[in-house]
Amino acid sequence: MKEEFFTPKARWIATGVIVILAVLPLTGIPRAWLLYLFLFFVYLALSNMWNLLAGYSGLLSLCQPAFIGLAGYTLVIFTWSGLPFYLGIIVGGIVSMAFALLISIPVFRLRGIYFAIGTLVVPEVLRVIFFLWRPIGGELHGAGAGYRLKGLVGISGAETYWMALFIGIISIFLVRLILASKLGLGLAAIRDSDSTAASIGIDVFKLKLYSFVICSLMTGIAGGVFYVYQGYVEPTTAFGIRWTMILMLSTVIGGMGIKEGPILGTAVVVFLHFFLAEYTGINLFIQGVLLVTIMIVAPHGIMGLIRGMRVYRLLVQREQEAIECGSHRAGRRSDL
Amino acid sequence: MGFADLSTPVVMGILLGGLYALIALGLSLVFGVMRLINVAHGDLVVFGSYFAYAALTLFGIDPILSLILGMPLLFAIGFTIQKFLMSRSFGVSMEAALIIAFGLSLILQNLNQMFWTPLSRGLTTSYSVESFSIGEIFIQLPFLFDFAAALVVMLSLSIFLKRTYLGKAILAASQNKRGALLMGVNTGRIYALTFGIAMATAAMAGVFMGLTFPFSPTTGLSFLVISFGVIVIGGLGSMIGTFVGGIVMGLAQTLGAQFFGDAAQMLIAYTIVLVALSIRPQGIFGR
Repeated sequence: MKEEFFTPKARWIATGVIVILAVLPLTGIPRAWLLYLFLFFVYLALSNMWNLLAGYSGLLSLCQPAFIGLAGYTLVIFTWSGLPFYLGIIVGGIVSMAFALLISIPVFRLRGIYFAIGTLVVPEVLRVIFFLWRPIGGELHGAGAGYRLKGLVGISGAETYWMALFIGIISIFLVRLILASKLGLGLAAIRDSDSTAASIGIDVFKLKLYSFVICSLMTGIAGGVFYVYQGYVEPTTAFGIRWTMILMLSTVIGGMGIKEGPILGTAVVVFLHFFLAEYTGINLFIQGVLLVTIMIVAPHGIMGLIRGMRVYRLLVQREQEAIECGSHRAGRRSDL
Repeated sequence: MGFADLSTPVVMGILLGGLYALIALGLSLVFGVMRLINVAHGDLVVFGSYFAYAALTLFGIDPILSLILGMPLLFAIGFTIQKFLMSRSFGVSMEAALIIAFGLSLILQNLNQMFWTPLSRGLTTSYSVESFSIGEIFIQLPFLFDFAAALVVMLSLSIFLKRTYLGKAILAASQNKRGALLMGVNTGRIYALTFGIAMATAAMAGVFMGLTFPFSPTTGLSFLVISFGVIVIGGLGSMIGTFVGGIVMGLAQTLGAQFFGDAAQMLIAYTIVLVALSIRPQGIFGR
């Protein structure tokens, strides 16, 4: 059964929310709030893409930092060559996509847990390469092989916010679009059973590759937008495990394999990020405890819990019954 | 380049391989028995190093001697992790266990950092800086210790698995969980014990790693990746494979440093991991 793109009521609500979010910078709200929302949308795009990979395509990819870092470095090279930064963001996404195609040759031979291991190594390799290779001559800023973005003085906070808002919303639509398409149907079949999907004529390899490549493109673009805000790139953080942690945490807290999951999860993660900023010493500790606790208490995340509740089912399920048809993990569980 | 120039890196690579095998052993054991990739392994090894460091700096206990306390402690930690956290996730999905391990890795990293600050530490003893030479080959003493420790652990573990009742039960549970259950093996308890044993070897690996290299709270990840490489080359869950895999990784690193410079040594090792994964995911000695 196909998943419907949007119900008419949801369409109006979504339009309203987007319009309000878009005019926010013009209302003169505090800059800190804009920053929170900026990070929310960047992280949302990242975790939406990871949700599509891990939750829907059965690809537990741990190499997302590779795409983010590559996009960051592409952006730096573009700004140092005097090319416009928005071109750098787009090409950054394309470079990530090309890289995804390249590493798909070795890592797509791996299945399940082996895929996770194979992809974990990739960002580490890139980190070493970017420590050694100086793409822009000898111009060094700070420790390591870090680079500052050049000539980005004219961009205001509002503009970076709009870019993030744009990719955040695009990522939501993209996930819905993919899930409503034939590709999404194929992915759902693969997630439920790899071999059954193959036996009814679904090209498992091709569909997985499609979703991997699409996700790398969006992840790269989101990474580029983040580096416009950050203003410098440096190999340790660009290819660091912190990225994997952020998107894994948002997806798992919200609910893996549920389309609304990352939205809720990212909100929690961004809140924690700023709430815990005062306690930097135990920041990771709390996030780790949260990850473990949620996985044990509510393995389907907050959204999974909400879906299991009777109130939610009475209010929403009836409307969506025809749409969901129990193809979600969480949906399947609440039907029991 | 003559043979004499290469002899030192070759010998050092083999000895270093012993350390890598020792570190990867626990990861390999846990994977072999429970099909679980414990991504917190590197951090648990580093925790072992820190424990020995605390014993050395606070009470002046020799790091190798401190294992008398360190191994039971990590055994208990491992047993608890499996019994109370991992066992619950097995019913949910494969990813659940992986994500819990990831969470544990973050917790441990942060704890190490809280107690011992992010500064780089080392287990400095009278023998950890010694070195001697045989002919033209220079050998640092800790590297020799690493290799000896790896051999001892590897041999005693394989004897334990083959000769004792518990060892046989662990092997049975790894080969066929249902079959083992039917034969009256309490697989839940076996899993917890296996995790505990794996962590005891991690404690040992931590001490020898600390004697050989400086470590910091974030070192865990790089050793995790190396261990992955070791067991990917050797075959996940195979003992001899792990040893051979360790030596291949060690040689890749020292020879890589010899030919391409120090900075590129990890690059060679990672490339070998990716190539090995894509050619033969189940490893050279994998089943």
